[in-house]
Amino acid sequence: MAMMDLIGVPPALLFGQLLVGLINGSFYAMMSLGVAIIFGMLRIGNFVHGAQYMLGAFGAWYLMRLPELFPGLGLPSIGYWWALVIVPLVVAVIGALMERIFIRRVYDLDHAYGLLLTVGLAMAIEGAFNVYYGAAGQMYGVPDTLKGGINLGFMFLPIYRAWVIAVAIVVCFGTWYVVERTKLGSYLRAATENPDLVRAFGINVPRLLMLTYAFGVGLAGFAGVMAAPIYQVSPQMGQGIIITIFAVVVIGGMGSIFGAIVSGLMLGVIEGLTKVFYPQASSTVIFIIMALVLIFRPAGLFGKETTSHSVADVSSGRSGSFLENGRLWLAIFAIGGGLLPFVIYPVMGMKILVLALFALAYNLIFGYVGLLAFGHAAFYGASSYVTAHAAAAWGLPTELCILLGVSVATAIGVLFGWLAIRRQGLYFAMITLALAQIIYFYAVQAPWTHGEDGIQSVPRGTLFGLIDLSNTLNMYYVTLVVFLVGFAFVYRIIHSPFGQTLKSIRENEPRAISLGYSTDRFKLIAFTLSAMLSGVAGGLKAIIFQLASLADVFFMTSADVLLMTLIGGVGTLLGPVVGAAVLVTLQRELATLGAWVVVVQGAIFVLCVLFLRKGIVGTLEEFLSNRAERKAQKGVKTTEAVAKTEAAQ
Amino acid sequence: MTEISKVVLDIADLHAWYGESKALHGMNFEIREGELVTLLGRNGAGKTTALRCIMGLVRKKTGAITYRGDNLAARAPEIIARRGIAYCPEERGIFSSLSVAENLELPPVIAKGGMTVDEILELFPNLKARWQSPGTKLSGGEQQMLAIGRILRTGAKLLIFDEPTEGLAPVIVKQIAVVLEKLKARGFTILLVEQNFRFAAKLADRHFVVDHGKVVERFSRDELAGNEAKIQAYLGV
Repeated sequence: MAMMDLIGVPPALLFGQLLVGLINGSFYAMMSLGVAIIFGMLRIGNFVHGAQYMLGAFGAWYLMRLPELFPGLGLPSIGYWWALVIVPLVVAVIGALMERIFIRRVYDLDHAYGLLLTVGLAMAIEGAFNVYYGAAGQMYGVPDTLKGGINLGFMFLPIYRAWVIAVAIVVCFGTWYVVERTKLGSYLRAATENPDLVRAFGINVPRLLMLTYAFGVGLAGFAGVMAAPIYQVSPQMGQGIIITIFAVVVIGGMGSIFGAIVSGLMLGVIEGLTKVFYPQASSTVIFIIMALVLIFRPAGLFGKETTSHSVADVSSGRSGSFLENGRLWLAIFAIGGGLLPFVIYPVMGMKILVLALFALAYNLIFGYVGLLAFGHAAFYGASSYVTAHAAAAWGLPTELCILLGVSVATAIGVLFGWLAIRRQGLYFAMITLALAQIIYFYAVQAPWTHGEDGIQSVPRGTLFGLIDLSNTLNMYYVTLVVFLVGFAFVYRIIHSPFGQTLKSIRENEPRAISLGYSTDRFKLIAFTLSAMLSGVAGGLKAIIFQLASLADVFFMTSADVLLMTLIGGVGTLLGPVVGAAVLVTLQRELATLGAWVVVVQGAIFVLCVLFLRKGIVGTLEEFLSNRAERKAQKGVKTTEAVAKTEAAQ
Repeated sequence: MTEISKVVLDIADLHAWYGESKALHGMNFEIREGELVTLLGRNGAGKTTALRCIMGLVRKKTGAITYRGDNLAARAPEIIARRGIAYCPEERGIFSSLSVAENLELPPVIAKGGMTVDEILELFPNLKARWQSPGTKLSGGEQQMLAIGRILRTGAKLLIFDEPTEGLAPVIVKQIAVVLEKLKARGFTILLVEQNFRFAAKLADRHFVVDHGKVVERFSRDELAGNEAKIQAYLGV
């Protein structure tokens, strides 16, 4: 106790937070265990894990409320203990169905698509629950048998919390035992290494994959039931935790089950202790630890150095096609953009232009380097906040505000890029996502960002002291010019020797390395450029809409920019622009649906991944190139036929 | 062979593709009960592809693969294995995250009549000492023994080996030859893919020479003597 007094922390607070940390850590461990198993076996970054956890909690709550939900049927209320058995099974069955219907289709594709697919599913599921239950949490009581607590002298230990910790440890190490020490586990491990060979031994690997997914998902459902009496049962409960879980898995070492369990518990405790000693950092500490682990042990604490996965070859652009002709499209956009405000509302036009610029920036890293970045909201949002603050609080000239915003975004881009390029594929996505959370939580807490309110009524000012931006048309044309410059800039980059090198990295990184390119440097430069351009879009956005808010740095913004690029066509010149136009129009048209928008957006995500992987522009490109080929063949045939007739004569 | 026994596996007009490129161009061969036959040929001739087709690991294919009257061409690998075919892949396919014991016991038993673990260890005494070490910590020769031993437990009657001698020391190649003879004597039917003709010549009842994705020559053991030059021409570099 004397020691406690020395550091000036009351023991009750310390042990209280330690307990909270252990509780959170128990959930982290159970959840990251499921994510690690699913990743290990299926190579799927199961982003929908959080939603499945939420389903577990709602499942328990539904069972409890059966009589109220179906008053006519005379059903009994089913309590905690039965829920603990029934709900994980039901959630596991839902998981098995999801595997059958959706996830199975992307096994043979790049990891990026698995992540995108599960992001879409998560949006759809969580969105649907949000429609019915909104942000309000539902209460779920602690079961009678586990009520009360024990006074340990230095602290009060609620029995239910002790129970959660004990059960989590048993479940986690039980799973670890099954995977590492049993026959079934040996099938799983072997199938992870070489699924084809395991099938050729007579083991039904597709079914094994489905069952593994169902098990991992069932575990999330189980954690959800366990969580119901502690946290509120709400549609958002899974959304926050999943990104943390991804960070935990990266820290533990991807695919390492033991790593996931130990890191989960440990990080929960560290988070709890941070709440005692430095509360401001408690929501970001896990992400900061992740960054440190990446610097010193890129494979994670318990991970083995894995061979680098091939980067995504997702491009669908075809050089030489008129769809890739930058000068032509620059002219078309200049003329079309000039006329646009007479056709649609200038504000909507500006929204499209800004998001198109953002998507162009994003496409630079995802489309042309093949790195699935999933945290671009950090650059967009940081620039938006800085620009807004410089304009609103310091009253700086508009151009200087945006310049400041872009500088900050670029600096963050250098730092995040430097950390993230150590890994590829899915890891890259998880790392950028987790790093972006640091910016998000900073924006939530920092006083100058004004939390939920954001920075409002940002003055637009006058550009270079000449152009009054409070005039909407002026603002629109300035936006158009910035967009056109950005478009030309991106076109210039991808058609420079530098851009060619980027594409060679996308297609075959080892070969690019063997040719003497320091690919990491190229990746970092590309990442930084992408961050910088995102910053331009973010800063411009703050000035146009006179607002910087949490939505700008929220991960949904990262998902939006990815969705735009995907809808339009990854790795095509026009894709991002088309994608932005489609998404903005869609969001406008769907605005009447209210909360359903997220569900629809999630469904579009899923459909794009399953059926429109090349995007609108990529699909059009494919159609044109097929037609050109058919024509060419026809041409050959005709000449042959002519030659034949001539010969016959 | 004095009497003609019945055909166990019949490959008829097999074509196969990897994506756009065609690997097999109408392959034909058959194996009779209790025989040991080899597919001989250079790298890239299509030998491994033929085996992968039999095991159902190549999806894009046409033609018939008939095993004991059942067409396997449309079946999944796990079903094919359960019909009684065991596969020892090229480069051994030892799992690094599994111990020697786990590797050996991985393939499920599909029928009665397989060898026991003790019998297998008698065949490959080296494995006993390394029982608990991770599979890929073994030497190349030991890994090959493990890979062969692994498929003897299952009760499969047709064994398929893809270049079991590749990259191994002559002493070990000899040891493997002895084992294959013992397996044949035990009544296993064996399909062997080889580039090492001298190794195969002593063991096999019949040889099929594969070139450009089809069988171009077939010889029985007795016909070898006069045709060695021809075979060397196909295999030669």
